[in-house]
Amino acid sequence: MTTSKLADHVRSEANVHTSMHDISQEINVIDSSVDDDKLGHQPPNSIRYNGLIHMIMITINELFNVNKLKDRTKKQTESMLGLIQFYIYHFLLLFIYILITIYKKFQTIYRKFFIKFYTLIYHHNNSPQLIRDDVNKLNKLPKTLSCILDLKDKDDEMGGIDGLINQISELTAWTLSCGIPVLQIYEFNGKLITNKSLLTKLNYKISKNLAKYFGLNNLPNYSIKIPHENLIIFGPQNTSNSEIDLQIHLLSRIDGKPTIVELTKTMSELAINKELTIQDISIDLIDEELIELVGPEPDLLIYFGPNLDLQDFPPWHIRLTEIYWEPENYDVNYSILIRALQKYSNCVTNVGK
Amino acid sequence: MTFGIDTKGSYSINSIFNILSNFPLLTYVISFFQDFMIEILKTGPIPQHIAIIMDGNRRYAKQKNIPLKEGHTAGAESLVNVLDVCYRTGVQHVTIYAFSIENFNRSKDEVDTLFGLLRDKLKMISEHEDSYARFNKIRVRIIGNRTYIPLDILHDLEIIEETTKHATSKRTLNVCFPYTTRDEISHSVRTIVSKVESGEIESKNLIDSKLIEDNFYFGSDVPPLDILIRTSGHSRLSDFMLWQSNFNSTIEFVNTLWPEFKFFSMTSILLKWSYYRTLQLEELSIMGVKTDQELKQKVNVLKELPKPPPFVSVTQR
Repeated sequence: MTTSKLADHVRSEANVHTSMHDISQEINVIDSSVDDDKLGHQPPNSIRYNGLIHMIMITINELFNVNKLKDRTKKQTESMLGLIQFYIYHFLLLFIYILITIYKKFQTIYRKFFIKFYTLIYHHNNSPQLIRDDVNKLNKLPKTLSCILDLKDKDDEMGGIDGLINQISELTAWTLSCGIPVLQIYEFNGKLITNKSLLTKLNYKISKNLAKYFGLNNLPNYSIKIPHENLIIFGPQNTSNSEIDLQIHLLSRIDGKPTIVELTKTMSELAINKELTIQDISIDLIDEELIELVGPEPDLLIYFGPNLDLQDFPPWHIRLTEIYWEPENYDVNYSILIRALQKYSNCVTNVGK
Repeated sequence: MTFGIDTKGSYSINSIFNILSNFPLLTYVISFFQDFMIEILKTGPIPQHIAIIMDGNRRYAKQKNIPLKEGHTAGAESLVNVLDVCYRTGVQHVTIYAFSIENFNRSKDEVDTLFGLLRDKLKMISEHEDSYARFNKIRVRIIGNRTYIPLDILHDLEIIEETTKHATSKRTLNVCFPYTTRDEISHSVRTIVSKVESGEIESKNLIDSKLIEDNFYFGSDVPPLDILIRTSGHSRLSDFMLWQSNFNSTIEFVNTLWPEFKFFSMTSILLKWSYYRTLQLEELSIMGVKTDQELKQKVNVLKELPKPPPFVSVTQR
């Protein structure tokens, strides 16, 4: 059983080209009819509010929501005394919640100043030399960098699809300047992946942004790869022959658990046809297939959001990944990237030891 | 008891606190405060499943200049404390990462120490009718690839599982030993493929992520993971519960070493979780009242308006 055959099976099952398909030429027509409004669902953990008044309202609501409390107390006690006790304790809990909210407010202010301070210290000034200087102080770099980006509301700053595309193009310029060869972009809904006209827009924005950093005449070579669809797009200047400086992989939740499910289906089909024995299924085989289907394991994962939430990121791939996020940060920011790289260069990995 | 001087020979706040906490009155006050905190926590939302990566025993031993074995012992004591807090608050499942398959890379001496220690501790909490696990009706389960465990230890572990199996409460202690997620996923895939081959699963279209989860070492009766804690400051998951922790669960990377992870650290994590969960639930009860189907239904606003006053016209009668 050759391993590439397994991956091909999975792909043909999903009606995807089995060989890498170059669509650089096909997508040069910009189609502007994109529905920006249907942004899709956000992962549940990312809903977090901490306004003080909001919190006080919630606690009051909670305290007078008698039906809900009755349900809860019934589990614990029936007696009158127990009920009163429960109310006192619950009131104290809600009081602690309000204290936490006040504390969080101060913390948020502190964090905001902290991040602003670092933004002032580390600024790229659209210059690759400066970025490379910052990076050269570190003793090691990740080979694969993975970023989880949030698709924000259209009305927010850097929100909507346009904001996402802008963020990706900035990240591309920074990683190229750092010298990291592979950049994975993970977005929960996969809005960019499903729409070819958006890919055109992305490609255009990236090359435009790179021109700002490197000059119009010597744009670096990059490729945008969508592992799930097995598509590849090359930047405007290069042909498929020349060497690629940066590979961008666009991932979404479909590359995580659903891909493992697809792989299992394919394996069981092959097992029925006696092409694969159960002894063949090993960690190494699955690993090989998932690297083929999804991409390499990232060394460093940066989440550009206020609270760590992995948002269904491919579970197989984050085994030894260093995870970095900055509390109370909502933007894609150069200083965050540099701080993450600094942390990565300081950490020691010893597998099992 | 080191009486204020730790093994390095210097005074530290921790060791002074240790002496203070041994005064009878203070012990009483502290335990009263702990009970009080737990009673308070009980009235809010409570996580169902907590997983812990207990990291930092060796670094602790190094810092304190004590032998490695005592570092592990201190870690085991800390575990009993944390388990106590969790179960008293109402957490049903606690999962601990006792031994990774990668840990076989360590020296043979240490692996043997760890195996022996784990067996002894588990035996200690389950041997007699009034030992910790049986008194508190905790079910102990061994999760992981059993083919790696030496036979004599496996036998003992199976006895422990057997004696605690019939616990009447839902409290469970999952001991991951030796475990990695990759091993677990491939185990699950292998099981499913063999089931399809033998016809137990009729069609390959029945395979979904739920089925893969059900065939994990954990089994199907485990509630979804709510909190994953890793101590000693590393921000890596080290192949532990990757599948379970990457959606709708809180991951906490704590800087304290595991033997120093005590009551306060645990309660503050529980409090933080319950705070955010309350906000989330409240938000859902305000925003999420409408289901998708209700949103799709078109409401005829004109028809739903109340009746207007009677028409009175001067010219048209």
